[in-house]
Formats: sequence, C-alpha cells, structure tokens
Amino acid sequence: MAEEPLARDTHVDAAHADAEFARLREMLFGREQRELEQLRARVAQLGFTSERLADELPRAIFRRTDRGDRQLAIALAPSVQQALSESVRKHPATIATAIFPILGPAIRKAIGEAMAGLVASVNTGIGQSLSLRGLQWRFEAWRTGVAYAQVVIRHSLVYRVEQVLLIHADTGLLLAHATSPDLVATDGDLISGMLTAIRDFVGDSFSSEREVGGLTSFKVGDLGVSVEPGPQAVLAAVVRGPAPPSLVIKLRETIESIHLRFADPLSKFEGDATPFEPSKELLADCLETVLQSDAHSGKRRVTWWPWIVGTVVLAAALALFLWRRASEWQRAVSRLETEPGIVLVHAERGWRRWRLSGLRDPLAARPAVLLAASGVDTARVDGRWQPYVSLDSTMVLDRARRQLAAPPAVALALRGDTLRARGVAPFSWVADMITLRVFPPGVSHLDLTGLALELTDAMRADIESVQRRRVLFAVASSRVSRQAQVAIDSNAVQLAAVDAALRTVGRRLEIALAGRADRTGLESLNQSLSADRAETVRVALLGGGIPAVSFTTQALGANAPLSETEASAPGASDVPRDVPYDAVAVRARVNRSVSFVVRVVRTIQAPTPER
Amino acid sequence: MIQKKVCMIGVFGAGKTSLVQQYVHSRFSEKYHSTVGVKIDRKSVDVDGDPMTLVLWDVAGKEADEDIPASYVRGAHGVIFVVDLTRRATWEELPALEALVQGAAGVIPTVIALNKADIPEQWAISVDEEQRLSALWTTVHTSAKSGQGVEDIFQTIARAVLKKPGTAA
Repeated sequence: MAEEPLARDTHVDAAHADAEFARLREMLFGREQRELEQLRARVAQLGFTSERLADELPRAIFRRTDRGDRQLAIALAPSVQQALSESVRKHPATIATAIFPILGPAIRKAIGEAMAGLVASVNTGIGQSLSLRGLQWRFEAWRTGVAYAQVVIRHSLVYRVEQVLLIHADTGLLLAHATSPDLVATDGDLISGMLTAIRDFVGDSFSSEREVGGLTSFKVGDLGVSVEPGPQAVLAAVVRGPAPPSLVIKLRETIESIHLRFADPLSKFEGDATPFEPSKELLADCLETVLQSDAHSGKRRVTWWPWIVGTVVLAAALALFLWRRASEWQRAVSRLETEPGIVLVHAERGWRRWRLSGLRDPLAARPAVLLAASGVDTARVDGRWQPYVSLDSTMVLDRARRQLAAPPAVALALRGDTLRARGVAPFSWVADMITLRVFPPGVSHLDLTGLALELTDAMRADIESVQRRRVLFAVASSRVSRQAQVAIDSNAVQLAAVDAALRTVGRRLEIALAGRADRTGLESLNQSLSADRAETVRVALLGGGIPAVSFTTQALGANAPLSETEASAPGASDVPRDVPYDAVAVRARVNRSVSFVVRVVRTIQAPTPER
Repeated sequence: MIQKKVCMIGVFGAGKTSLVQQYVHSRFSEKYHSTVGVKIDRKSVDVDGDPMTLVLWDVAGKEADEDIPASYVRGAHGVIFVVDLTRRATWEELPALEALVQGAAGVIPTVIALNKADIPEQWAISVDEEQRLSALWTTVHTSAKSGQGVEDIFQTIARAVLKKPGTAA
C-alpha cells in the first residue's frame, strides 16, 4: 500500500516538470519560436503563391489584353525590347531562323504597299499638276511665298495633328514636345506655360476644375487644341482642322501610358525634363496628317484620265523616239548610197544594232566616218565592206591624178571616157603621157591639147644658143665662108635635135632666118643682098634633118640693124675679144649676117594616146 | 536642361513686366501696359556653368479689389516680389502676397526686387524699413529703366531655385 502514493507522486512530479520546462522554454525561446513559425508560414505561402502565380499569370495577361487597351503592351514593351535585343546579340542565328518564315511575306507586303503608295502619289501628282485647281494652288504658292506642298496640304487637309506637348500639371513646364517634321518648330516652353495659364484661368473662372472637368479643347482660327489632363501631366495636341473623336481616345491612352511608364519621374519632377525624352516616341505616335484623298480612300474610284494622259505622253515619247531612230537610219543609208566609191548592198536595222555591207573603193571615204558625221552612233553599227574599183567620175579622176602623177599646174577633167588635161606641163610628163599604154580604169582617151608645154632646160639652152649665133658674111657678099658654114652646121645640129624631140609631143620648131646688110651702099642693093644671104643659109640648112617648111626667110636690109647689145653679145661676131673695140666696124660686121628666130609651134595633128 | 518656374508677383504698376522685358528682351518702355492675366516669357541662363531655363510667369499685379489667382503660382519653384520704392502701398502689400504664395506653392526661394532704385528722391520707404526688410529677405535694388540690378536679381533667383550655396532661402 505504501508504494501507490509514491507512484502517483512520481507521475505528478513528472507532469509538473514538463510544464515547468515548457514555461522555461517559452520564457527563453518563445519569441524566437514564434518568429520561426511565422517565417515557416511565409515560406510555405511563398511557394504556394509562385505556383499559383504561374497558373494565374497567363490568365491575367489574357484578361488585360481582352480589355483592348495598350497599357499592358506599353508596360511590357521596354522589357521585351531589352530581352529581344539581348537575345539577338547572343543568339542571332536562333532569331534569324525564327523570323525567316515571315520575312518573305513581310517583304512582299512592304513592296506592295510601296507600289500602291507610288501609284497614288503619281495619281495625285498628275491630277494636281494638270488641273485648274493645281494651277490655282501654284499661283497661290507663288503669290504668298509659301511652299507649294504646304498649299496643297492646306487645301486638301482634313485634319493634322501638328504638335503634341506633354506638360507638367503643377508647374506648367514642358516635359516633352513633338512637332510634325515639315513644320517650323515653335517655342514649346511658352506654349505649355500659356496653355497652363489658360487652363488655370478657366478653372478659376468656372469654380473647381473637378466640377466642370477642366478645359479640354479650344480653337484659335484654323487651329484647335485638344487637352487630355492626367493627375501629374497634361497632354495637349495642336490640331489643324476638325479633330476626330478617335484622337481624344488616342490622347487619353497616351497620357495613361505616360503616367504608367514615367510615374516615378513625374512624382519627383524638379524641373529636369531629361527623363521624359523617351516619351517623345509616344507623342510622335499622335502626330498624323489626314488628307482628303486618305479620308476617301475606302470609296475612292480609280481616276483613269491621269493614266490615259500618262499613256499618251509615253506613247508620244516612244513614237518620237522611233521616228528619230528611223530618220537617223534613213539619213545614214542615204549618205552611204550617195557617197562616190561606196555601194550599199545590204542594210539591216535591228533593235539594238545595224548591219551594213557592200562594196567600197579603197579611195572612197570610210563609212564609219561618214556615219559619225551624220550623227550616228557608230558603236552600234556592224559594217562589212568588200574592196572594188569604182568607175564613178570622182573616183576615176582621183585615181587618174594619183596614177598619172599629174603636176600641180595640170588640171584633169573627165568627159565621157576621155581624160582632158589643162594647164602647163613639163616636157617629160607630156612625153610620158604620149607613150602611156596603161590608162587608169574608166579612161580610154587622153586629151593633151589643152596643155602648154614647158621645155626642158637643155632645149631652152639650145634654142638660146642658136638665136645668139649669127652667120656672118663678107662685105657685099652672100657667099658662105668656112667660118659661116661652121656656124650653120652648129645651129643645124642643135635645131634638129630639139625639133625631133618636140615632134614626139606634137610640137615642132619654126625658124625665121633674118638677113641683114651694113649701111654702106644703096638700100635697094642691101635689101637684095640680105635676101640672098637668108636664102643662102636656108639652102645650107636643108638636109640637116629639119623639114624645109619649117624655115622662113626675111630680108631686113640695113633698116633693122642689130642693137649694140645684140651686136656685142658673146658669139654675135667673130671679132676676138682682145682686139681693140671699134664700135662702127664691129657693128657693120655684125649686121652683115643672118640671125635665127626660133619658135615652138604645134604640129598640125597632135598625137593623142589611146588605149 | 533644367527648367524652373519663377513667378513675378507684386502690386499693379510695380514694374514686373518692365523687369522681365528688360531682362529677356533688353528693352524698356515708358508707356505703361497693364498685364491681363499672365504673360509668360523664357530666358536661358548659366549658373556656375550649369545651363538652365527660367520660365517667367509675369502675373498681373494685385489690385485693390482683386487678388492674384493662386493657380498661377501653383508649382512655382521661386518667386520674385516686386516692390515699387516710390509707392508705399506696394511695400505694404508684401505680407499678404507672401501669404498667398506660400499657400499656393509652399515655402519656395524668394527674392524681393526694390524697383525704381534709379530715382531715390522719390522713394516712399525709409532706410530703416528697407533694412528691416533686407534682414528677413534677400533684396536687390533694381531699375528696369536703367537696367540696374536686373541681371543680378534673376541670377539670384536662379541660384536660389537651383539651391546653389549662398543664395536666398
């Protein structure tokens, strides 16, 4: 019995000790224990939230996208851009493979749109430039000094958002400003300040801004200002023309996006607008120009007449081009056909090249030179020319002059097949022509009757020698002395040689023998004496090779005495030079003589060479 | 570039517009034009090598029966009170104007232009009064007509709004 209380006591003591221990533990570690439990609970909750988030996030994105606003896209855009940029930088091949299937359609679409834009631009350009309205606008541009494009836009404008300003709501300071590229930039600082002041004034004038919604739009002439206020910033769009309702929605979305994206810079704004630079892209999205042609693009009919005009102009240009090509061809062919020495056998005009072939005299002009002189581009001409001898008179004359080596003083002319020579020709050339056996092609006869003969130096020397030499006679005598015979023989030899040579070229000598007497005695006797002396010499010359018909005699008596110069010329008399000069005696001696006067005349029938 | 909104506050005819015209456009007109509402101008300045833009709100002067609209002052970074030394009323209105500004924009850098300093013989404020004012605020003697102190006062407010050392509180 004594052991039961002990057991009960032992059990009570143990329970008491546990309680005490728990209290002690609570006192020592209670706070840490609770914090540990809270941390475990938060960790468990975090794990749960991440898993839930993975499930909920796609649904949340879908729901937000279904709302149709751009907020989610704008919020994600910077991160997506950054991620895409990073991915392209690190793995360009992956991105290239991924977008490859859409590249082709995208390029085709872009080209298609560009072509459609070009057609529309041509339509508009032709339409405006040729229409009365276009001319009026050009006149207006000239009168006002405004660019023509600006005038066109002004008249065909439905509306244009020219400027968009982002303004800090409290200070009225400009945060960002976007302007249409073709407009002169205005002072955005002043505009934003005045706009804020106007809004403040309106707000103050019409009680609380919240009650009336503030100033949302106003007009100044053609310009209207649409204002979309936000909690910390205001968006103002300067619009020319009536702004469509869609613009208000666009401005609202933009100011919301700006508040979402630039919430931090807006709340901390202290005058530095630098953080708002990126917002210019959003502002620029609001800039737009809508022309009448754009506004009616959906129901626009195709304007045919500009195309017809364009086609007619093109056709006219093509016809002009073809006509000029044909004229050029005709001119070239005609030039070749009329050129002496060229026979055009085949002429073919291709689209890009001309083919010409035929015969060409080597002396004729070069076809390429002729075509170039006619304005033809010889680079596109293929020519094939076979050599031949042309009987064209120009070619015959040219060839004859070259072949016969005609002297410069000789002019050649062709009459029928007779080649006529005119002018002065040397004896040797005439002699060659007389003996010519091979005539140039196209020449059958050679007519030299028009030529004057130029004697050789030897012939001239012989004739002069003969004319200087006198056959002297004794006083009152007509008998030929031995000395006179020598003079006659010498002259006979020289004259015969010259005469023989001249006869080969259709010429001969004509020799006049002038008999004289000195002054002594009666003149009648002197006349008779001089005639006898001339006749004596003529008879003495006969048989020397010169036909008798070539001689004539003349009795001069004492009435035509030789001059002193003639009398004192070398060979004129037989008086030695060292004998003292007795002028009277010498003169009388010299005048008892017969002198020779020689002329070259044509023979009755001149030889005419023939082939 | 940093922009700061600075309001020109004062009684009508104190010379606010003339000071701004002299500062921004370097011109002065004897002819008085009362400002209607507010006129805004802008001037780029260089403060110790830091470029900034002062957007000057030339607020229409306070008249006896009409207060300055507080909304024009809201968001201002600094204020220039313009006192016409020849008109005592412009000096006496200072406390009320200061209270209006503080109510709309809080405590912001403030400079007081003591205008028409070029005609001391016509001053209506004693030297003692002026000294008491200078003990409380940063003051600058100005004359829109002669240009005296014009550059100085705008430089002073520019330094103050940029919180440069040694500037007005």
